[in-house]
Amino acid sequence: MQPERTTLAWNRTMLALVVAGVLLLRWVPRHGWFPLGLTLLTAATALVITAGQARRYRRSARGIRDGRIDADVAGVLGTTVAVALLGALALVVVVALPLR
Amino acid sequence: MRSSRDEPSQQAPATPGASTTDRAPGSGRGGRSARILGGGTEPDPRFTLANERTFLAWIRTALALLAGGVAVEAFTTDTFAQPVRTGLAVVLLLLAMVLAVAAGVRWLAVERAMRQQAPLPLSILVPVLAGGGALVAAAFLVVVLGNA
Repeated sequence: MQPERTTLAWNRTMLALVVAGVLLLRWVPRHGWFPLGLTLLTAATALVITAGQARRYRRSARGIRDGRIDADVAGVLGTTVAVALLGALALVVVVALPLR
Repeated sequence: MRSSRDEPSQQAPATPGASTTDRAPGSGRGGRSARILGGGTEPDPRFTLANERTFLAWIRTALALLAGGVAVEAFTTDTFAQPVRTGLAVVLLLLAMVLAVAAGVRWLAVERAMRQQAPLPLSILVPVLAGGGALVAAAFLVVVLGNA
């Protein structure tokens, strides 16, 4: 159950990323390619998360059985950086890009 | 491959990939991950997963705030004056960034503390989110009442 819950939590996070990415498309008519690039960033992050799901589930299930799990340092810190970067670039859009 | 090393990362677990019973120190995890996590003993795997889920819950909160910031800026052109829109969006986006970074920092702090059997660190996330949320809500209220 624990691996399942964790995999589902990653899944929800991936979906939240997709929603945020789609929302960013609202800026495309006004700001052009820059927000489109942000949407691509969210899509890429979502894809990386999805691609790792099966491996993540297997690893966790095996870890529960063996009594130890490697903390997913790359996954967590990578997601942190991606979301923080997304926030920073969205700020750039709001503050620095010209409004119509 | 199983040669032990005389450093704290001795306790670093093996990736359960090569062989399920392989617990040679540092044989699977990259040295960098081991260094980031510090030494100590492996916590109960359920705790590691719980910590990861908590991190993900905070990241989703940050993403919701980010989406809120984008939405305020993009969807309220007819409702709010431009400085109001920009201001609210900036606050929401800043809050999202702070939460995302703090979530990662907290995950690491908890992971390290669990390895040392130390008490879990207090989180700045809750007061930041509570304060920031209240601030944004108050600002919205003022603006909406001012419009009416």
